[in-house]
Amino acid sequence: MSTPFPNEPGEHEAERASNSYLMSLVAHIVGLPLPIVNLVATLIFFLGNRNGTYFTRWHCTQALLSQASLLFVNSYGFWWTIGIIFRDNTVTNEYIAYMITVFLINVAEVIATMYAAIVTRKGKHVELWFYGDITNAICKP
Amino acid sequence: MTRAFLQLAAMIAVFFGLWFGLSQIDWVGILRIESGKEATEEKLGDLLWDTFKQQDEELRSSEVTSRLDSLIQFVCKENNIDAKEIKLHVLQNDDVNAVTLPDHHLVVYSGLIKASDSEAELVGVICHEIAHMQKNHVMKKLVKEIGLSALIGMTSGGNTGRIIKLISSSAYDRELETEADLTAADYMLKADLDPEALANFLYKLSSDDVPSQVYWVSTHPESKERAKAIIEYIEGKDITKNQILSADSWKSLKAAASEN
Ligand SMILES: [Zn+2]
Repeated sequence: MSTPFPNEPGEHEAERASNSYLMSLVAHIVGLPLPIVNLVATLIFFLGNRNGTYFTRWHCTQALLSQASLLFVNSYGFWWTIGIIFRDNTVTNEYIAYMITVFLINVAEVIATMYAAIVTRKGKHVELWFYGDITNAICKP
Repeated sequence: MTRAFLQLAAMIAVFFGLWFGLSQIDWVGILRIESGKEATEEKLGDLLWDTFKQQDEELRSSEVTSRLDSLIQFVCKENNIDAKEIKLHVLQNDDVNAVTLPDHHLVVYSGLIKASDSEAELVGVICHEIAHMQKNHVMKKLVKEIGLSALIGMTSGGNTGRIIKLISSSAYDRELETEADLTAADYMLKADLDPEALANFLYKLSSDDVPSQVYWVSTHPESKERAKAIIEYIEGKDITKNQILSADSWKSLKAAASEN
């Protein structure tokens, strides 16, 4: 999925792009119990790199987007759990199935983010499935 | 952008497909998760029974308890109800009363046995209470009036006064009472007993010349109408008037209940 950018990214650019994935990875793991944390953390990093090079911005945006979609899925699971603990106290098959689904999606997200961090660190471009297209649409040079 | 939409659709489909697919597995059964509701009901039942037990002496004489057990077991067997679930308690109290508590606790007052002129009258009231149990009326009412979260709070040593009041004073809604009456009539018909006795009992206790201790009727209002509804319900149905206990056994039960 690697497509070359107009000019090869420099060492510093590659490092910053890769760091945005690492940042989102750390925020993801730290923020798992309270999903809003990882979005806020990635958003702060994104704003910090607003004025970076195209390569850096592009990868910050992709990291942010992939985080944002998880926010909904994880938050729903989070509030469902809170509801079970404080309200009706009933664990259903649907709930357990949801949590397993969320777990699998989070694992997939972690793997994709780690892969993106490694590849961008080498100065190579990588577009994640779906998120790459969206990033291309909103992130212009 | 079209590709992105297709990919989004595919992701959503995978997400819901996975969720739906995994939902088909009986995780709760496999993991043996006791539903919070059951645990709450069990704790509430124990807690409430403790409160009742503190107010009156428990009547442990097997003269009484084993005979009541026979009555309950007979009715349950004929109606495919698990009698082992029912936790019968008899209290020495002249009030004409019987109360169903959460988690299948059935409290029968000795006054009820004394006030029953026939076995079928007593069995009728017991059937009515078993109907409350089987239809889960107690928990339904408590959840509706108090809310499950407050109930869960009470199980960790809260004040049971409010629940006791709800269970034993204003009793149930008219609708639930009628359902319990007619279900009791069905139980009795199936067991070849006479449901008219329950109607008679209600009618008898609602007349003016009975002492104020007739709680079961005051907690179960509109007794005359209820009696009529039962009579209408069983009209034209085949009624066999069997007895469960022998005449001597019934007499001993009455005598043992009156002993204190
Ligand atoms: Zn009732």
